[in-house]
Amino acid sequence: MNKLLRQPYWFVALLGLSLSACGGSGDDEISPDPIDPVVTYPSYTSIVALGGDTTTFDASNSGHGFSTPSLNLTADELALHLQGDTNFEVSFTTAPNDQHPELDGLGPVFNNADCNSCHQRDGRNSTPFLAADETRVKLGSAAGIFLRISKAPAEPCSVGTADNNYCAPIKVPDFGDQLFHRGVLKARPDWQDNAFVGQADVYLSYERHDEVYADGRTISLKKPIFAVENPYDAPGETKQSANVTSNLLQDDVLMGWRNGMPVFGLGLLEAIPEASILANVDADDSNKDDISGRANWVFDAIKAQNGDSTPVSLGRFGWKANTPSVRVQSLGALRGDIGITNPLFPDESIVGTSLHDSYLTRTGFVDTGEDVNGAPEASAEFSDSVVFYAETLAVPARRNVDKTAVREGARLFEQLNCSSCHTPSFVTKTSGDIGGLPMSDSLKGQTIYPFSDLLLHDMGEGLADGRPDFLADGNEWRTRPLWGIGLTQTVNPQAGFLHDGRAATLEEAILWHDGESKTSKQDFMALTQAERDQVIAFLQSL
Amino acid sequence: MRFNYTAISLALVATLSACGGSGSDDTSTPTTPTTPTTGFSFVATEMITNLTDDVIVAGYADLAAKGDALLLATQTLLTSTVQADLVAAQNAWKSARQPWEQGESHIFGPVDSLSIDPHLDSWPLNTTDLQTQLANSNGFDADTIKGWNDDVQGFHTMEYLLFGDGVNSNTKLIADLSTKEREYLIALAEVFRDYTAQLDDAWQVSHNPQDANAKPYAELLKTPGDATNTIYSSQLAVIEELINGMIGIVDEVGNGKIADPFGESLTTADTSKVESQYSWNSLTDFSNNIIGVRNVYQGEFTGGADKQGLIDFVTAADATLATRVASEIDDAILKIQAISGSTSMPFRQAILDADGRARTQVAVDALTKLQATLQSDVLPLLSDWNS
Repeated sequence: MNKLLRQPYWFVALLGLSLSACGGSGDDEISPDPIDPVVTYPSYTSIVALGGDTTTFDASNSGHGFSTPSLNLTADELALHLQGDTNFEVSFTTAPNDQHPELDGLGPVFNNADCNSCHQRDGRNSTPFLAADETRVKLGSAAGIFLRISKAPAEPCSVGTADNNYCAPIKVPDFGDQLFHRGVLKARPDWQDNAFVGQADVYLSYERHDEVYADGRTISLKKPIFAVENPYDAPGETKQSANVTSNLLQDDVLMGWRNGMPVFGLGLLEAIPEASILANVDADDSNKDDISGRANWVFDAIKAQNGDSTPVSLGRFGWKANTPSVRVQSLGALRGDIGITNPLFPDESIVGTSLHDSYLTRTGFVDTGEDVNGAPEASAEFSDSVVFYAETLAVPARRNVDKTAVREGARLFEQLNCSSCHTPSFVTKTSGDIGGLPMSDSLKGQTIYPFSDLLLHDMGEGLADGRPDFLADGNEWRTRPLWGIGLTQTVNPQAGFLHDGRAATLEEAILWHDGESKTSKQDFMALTQAERDQVIAFLQSL
Repeated sequence: MRFNYTAISLALVATLSACGGSGSDDTSTPTTPTTPTTGFSFVATEMITNLTDDVIVAGYADLAAKGDALLLATQTLLTSTVQADLVAAQNAWKSARQPWEQGESHIFGPVDSLSIDPHLDSWPLNTTDLQTQLANSNGFDADTIKGWNDDVQGFHTMEYLLFGDGVNSNTKLIADLSTKEREYLIALAEVFRDYTAQLDDAWQVSHNPQDANAKPYAELLKTPGDATNTIYSSQLAVIEELINGMIGIVDEVGNGKIADPFGESLTTADTSKVESQYSWNSLTDFSNNIIGVRNVYQGEFTGGADKQGLIDFVTAADATLATRVASEIDDAILKIQAISGSTSMPFRQAILDADGRARTQVAVDALTKLQATLQSDVLPLLSDWNS
């Protein structure tokens, strides 16, 4: 990207005036050496406030970097945010809880008992590890990862209609579209032999392969492999059983890992004008750069609840951009991951399955919400505060932007064409709703640097889960926003990268890029070790 | 994570936002950063090394040792009919509780990333499921219990079995300890011992149990800015972590652990929310939390030889402030301990007593004052430090 290599000196002088006003690097920055060639850096090279006026600075170096409220909230908004903060950490309990009925309703099957467990310190969950004497690990209470499940469609779904459920994944009969490996004590009919087990046992192991640079440096990459056993509809059964009867273990059941994502800055992403995102769509690669970018159009529960005849919206959140708003994402997770019904999702995700029916019978129909009539388990107030919390967690400021390695890394990031998908900046809209409610002023008109186009891209077979999700096919993933990524392991040292946490480092994450990003990966691998380190230094500064 | 605004944050964003978002191309040669000409100087290496080794690592090593002792004490109970054995196990539980609660002032790193905190200290306890398991299980073993939900294992499950329900007393008779309770208790203590050992290893051997080449977490804290250190990019990051850790626990004690059961009034007080209510150890827990803050601030455990702590960092910037912070920490500890009054009233009773509530409010006020000082006066020092 050298088209701006030569700039007129008046521009350089103006830039210097601007930067010196910010207490930047002073004259050295604005006076190019008359001998050395002038080097052009991307416009985002020196940007510190990635989240505009929402950016946080007093925790942006440490493990608290994802956990502070946006700095531009009103007093009332801050109070709501802090209430949401408290609720985000609430651990739900088995029903009935006579002392605290507002906390009961966990599950009966679930992946975790609180939000924080999958979004540790508001960041990613820990990658499960195997002890030295283990070849696989059974997912338990420490796992923030889970499996999405669905039946393979007869043919790809390309146009969402009411008849095809708007291309939503096809639920596995008697299970659903998410596998819950945990349960309350009596979740299963065979609970005395399978206490606290959910729909099935899930085991994780890893397979490895090497990537080798031209200079001989070798990186070992691990890929998570799952095994599902002991489903509730056929206890003890596995895929290797002589006669597989479980609905879950049929050959046409698709499964894919999902990790928890960082929670901060989400309101800003939702406040990006739809037209700004769609402007980057290039579904047929008309510019022939081998990078497409497709929008996912997904079922919108808010529109459906409001009676919209076409309840479909642009997908922005989730690993496959399969949810349209922070509200749908958050309350969907509250109902799905924890099993807490709420005003947007008033029915248990396993409602109508034989497991839920037998659980209700076994336990005297207590899992019916906060009152005898079965009102949602989480109140509107609880739900609203959690949604607002996720919308208004601050984006951490960048670090070390003056370091040479970081600045060179930004230049290389551009040169490698990473910014084609990791779109540096957007300006948020100045009015309108998010999640069906008026948008906070704190989110309006902000110049933000998420480094994502929020679109789907084919990332190749190595990363593929083969499982379509609305219009996303089995190879496609939404571009992951890069803001804050350098703090990932400061927030959680055990966190990994990519949708299933397989990459232990940013370098490993780059090496998993394929498909549309194959050229960028190859060009990265062709760099010298020092240059590769500079790219990583830039990413670490975000 | 519960955090509030700080004045410095507002000031900083006003300044820095003027620098962001220009969209201009940045055409220049690489430069090295200029050295600030204002602010204060402090060489932080010794302080960080000392806090890591002599406070944090030493605390977790102590916890692991007390985890061993607790297991031994519970194993003694398997067939014992001697009340002194139960009292010894109760004391072993209280003893293990001390380094754990003091460690909550620096609850970052492996204790969080390895999910050791929820495994050890989930609250509230699920007494319904606990009783069901006691009634339905034939024997207990550690591996099985590790797969159970966190609300039926850890500190508080052991506390319930050791001390009883805590409503009217915290003195359980060994004759009331059933065989299944003893078996469950021993298995829980074994699980507890394993997790405390794992935490100790993570700080001293390898922070990633799956990677033998991973550094001890202590090493990562002591070598910020090293090219291979993806956790801490600078000494400033480490100090920011430590200060925010102190703020976090002061906030949690004042606005959570005490305020939640305390309620707005006597009629809304809720003893069911009192942590460590079975053992009546709540006030000891709370004061240990703030003693943990003092450990980090002073750089040594209470009564230890003077070593560098955050007080030295603050002193380099503002000696008066440094003294004031030390005084406010001590005051908060004393006010928490004073909640029990002259009759050694446990916290769950104090919040239902008019005088006890008045003393509790005094403690909350002291914690609020300390939190405000840490947020508004100490944390902003980071931006004045010529690191």
